Amino acid sequence: MTTMTTTKPLLAAENLAKRYGAVIALESASLTVQPGEIHALLGANGAGKSTLVKILSGVISADNGSVAVDGTPIRLRNPDDSMSAGLATVFQDPALIPDLTIEQNFRMTGVDRTIVQEWLVKLDIPELDFDSIVRDLPLPLLRLVDLARALAHDPRLLMLDEITAALSADQAELVFGVMREWKERGRSVLFISHRLTEVLHICDQATILRNGHDVESLAPGEGGEARLVSAMLGEDHHESSAVREGTNTGDHVVLEARDLHRLDKVNGVSFELRAGEILGIAALEGQGQDQLFQILSGDRRPSGGEILVNGEPLVAHSPYDAIREGVVLVPADRLHALLPQRSVRENLATPLYNRLSRWFRLESDEKERVDGAIDRLDIDIRAASQVRQLSGGNQQKVTIGRWLAAGFRTLLCFDPTRGIDIQTKAQIYQLLRELADEGAAVLLYSSELREIPLVCDRTLVMYNGQVVDEIADARTATESSLLTAAHGLEGVST
Amino acid sequence: MTAISSSEALGGSQLRDWLRHHGWTLGVWLLLGALVVWYSTLVPSFGGFELSLIVNNSLPIAFLALGQAVIVIAGGIDLGVGSMMVLTNVVAAKYMEGESFAVAILIAVVLIAAAAILNGIVGWIINVSKVPDIVITLATLFIFAGFALAILPSPGGGAPGRFRWLFTGSESGIGRNAWPAIIMLALATQVVGLWLVKTRNGLSLYALGSDPTAAYLSGVRNSKAKILSYAIGGGLAAMAGLATTALTGSGSPRLSIASTATLNSVAAIVLGGIALTGGIGSVVGASGAAIVLFILNPILTARGVDPNSARVIQGLLIIFVLMIAGVLEQRRQRRS
Repeated sequence: MTTMTTTKPLLAAENLAKRYGAVIALESASLTVQPGEIHALLGANGAGKSTLVKILSGVISADNGSVAVDGTPIRLRNPDDSMSAGLATVFQDPALIPDLTIEQNFRMTGVDRTIVQEWLVKLDIPELDFDSIVRDLPLPLLRLVDLARALAHDPRLLMLDEITAALSADQAELVFGVMREWKERGRSVLFISHRLTEVLHICDQATILRNGHDVESLAPGEGGEARLVSAMLGEDHHESSAVREGTNTGDHVVLEARDLHRLDKVNGVSFELRAGEILGIAALEGQGQDQLFQILSGDRRPSGGEILVNGEPLVAHSPYDAIREGVVLVPADRLHALLPQRSVRENLATPLYNRLSRWFRLESDEKERVDGAIDRLDIDIRAASQVRQLSGGNQQKVTIGRWLAAGFRTLLCFDPTRGIDIQTKAQIYQLLRELADEGAAVLLYSSELREIPLVCDRTLVMYNGQVVDEIADARTATESSLLTAAHGLEGVST
Repeated sequence: MTAISSSEALGGSQLRDWLRHHGWTLGVWLLLGALVVWYSTLVPSFGGFELSLIVNNSLPIAFLALGQAVIVIAGGIDLGVGSMMVLTNVVAAKYMEGESFAVAILIAVVLIAAAAILNGIVGWIINVSKVPDIVITLATLFIFAGFALAILPSPGGGAPGRFRWLFTGSESGIGRNAWPAIIMLALATQVVGLWLVKTRNGLSLYALGSDPTAAYLSGVRNSKAKILSYAIGGGLAAMAGLATTALTGSGSPRLSIASTATLNSVAAIVLGGIALTGGIGSVVGASGAAIVLFILNPILTARGVDPNSARVIQGLLIIFVLMIAGVLEQRRQRRS
């Protein structure tokens, strides 16, 4: 579009830089967004995407560089400055106050309820009770509410940081509809996502960051997924499959669920998990998979049914009981599982405290175990003094590494690659495969259906709290066949 | 038919929601009502004198609890409020003695403003230094008490009768008219309470206490909200000091009064349902709880309980109420 170049860009960020002590988060990144454009910001974890968005939204201030809106330079000292410049951001963690009601949140930020309501209708949540307390609402809903609130500010540029990560496929489609509508109004969207299919699907232009620089700006349709990936990684890259050759899983059942029930969320789930296999769970958001994982990990008790570990019934009063039987959880919310202000080593050693010897000293092999886990996972420990300073991918490695150090039989992974770049994703899946080869059993839920055939041996499809389908050889499944099954549309797929 | 049943269900859930938001506050006031009734059966006659005794004497701690509540809701805690109360009490008693009512009011207004500014500065220091609230305000507890001693080395001073009437319903501080104190407390509680939940600035205090990161991302100026909470807390501590002056007709510069008052203010807000972690609770509950804590004294005295054991019972009551609240909350979470 040659006409584009003659118009003044909506947003022009030039040579933005940010460093934290010795760690360079952003070296020199520029970004130009035109009016009426859906612009993707891509890059592997640690490339500087989040830093760039935080600068543009006024959360952190840049060490260097300039930002102009409509050709006018602006100063971004706090989120207020960003909002008054016409930029609105939906952050990865919803910026809604957990202890206030929805209504009070809107009042506090001075948005018009009726406009928010219009957008909520478009996002298919027309009957939201504005008097409900934010803490009681599920995360996907909150992200949509946050989006509606951002839209009600009527921004020139809407910045969406990984908004689809917590959403189901149909919810994501609603968000895309809203993005298109925003574009038709001549407004722009900056879209950050690890899901390249989404980027190809909806974005007009993409800027790719690598190691704190902007390396390329292109229309995503031109080169397709392969071009985007190679620009992000800086080398030719193939989507690696972690599926083993052949399917010779053992016969030893380490974990068995028999007719598990919990409230009306889990309605009679039964399955067997064998040593050496990776069993996938495919499901849309909110089909009871989160409750199922809570039950299996001992966090919640089932209201019916039983769990057998190595043939013995497991009655877990708390995760401690499950962990003692070797059933451990890797949750989606990494910081939930870790001690964010403690070091990598301390985090890795935490589960070992269960093994305190009688005189309260750790058994002497603590250091070896921790070192082993760090080596094996290839954890970047430059920022090792506080886990919260690590990138999301490295944090997730630490959550897995804790169990490597402590020892386990069954690994329950609940969406372990949420918001993680493809390189780290591949490493994590490779690791899960290695663990399975060594005899561990892995139960894996991933919100990204397309990844299930890449890593799982066998897959269960959950719908409405029940297992509605089993795919004996997960490699034969495709994203669309899984999606069809996950909608409860049995038999439609071929 | 279905429309009716669904609207009934809606009504039921609205009531549940309301109880969830306000249940604790309601519970505190019901407890207070029960205690007042109990007290009325213990004394030979229960009338204006007894009522004003309770309300007047609760006034300082109730104001202090309101101030503490605002600060704790915003995620802080102020151990210096007791000293601020004593400091205001001392200054007011020293300068109001022998003055006219108009001058006394002027002094009161200046004192409230000065206390708000002074405590706002405390909030600013906490922001800048990043030293935890509890450490800085532990220091201000001693500093303000020291100021009070420097200004009025020994108890004394006074206040004009009409000024005393304003808080106590009597020019001598003891009488049968409870209305001025009731109105004063109800007004302060309502104004502070509504401001907190209805205005953008007020909600920003809840936001800061609930989740500072989310608050910042929502456009709240966290440092401004913190200073604001301390300033309001300081102003309400000054109200507590003025109420003390009116009640006793003198100034008393003792550190023990300050530290006891601070601890009582914390006890009152905890009993009133305000989470020490910030962001949760209502000032209406806090002022009710302050009266509950006070009324235990005359009740236990009337029952012939040794005053020293009264403290034990106060403490046990706090634990008991919090345990019930904890059990209810757990049951609610298990259901959902």
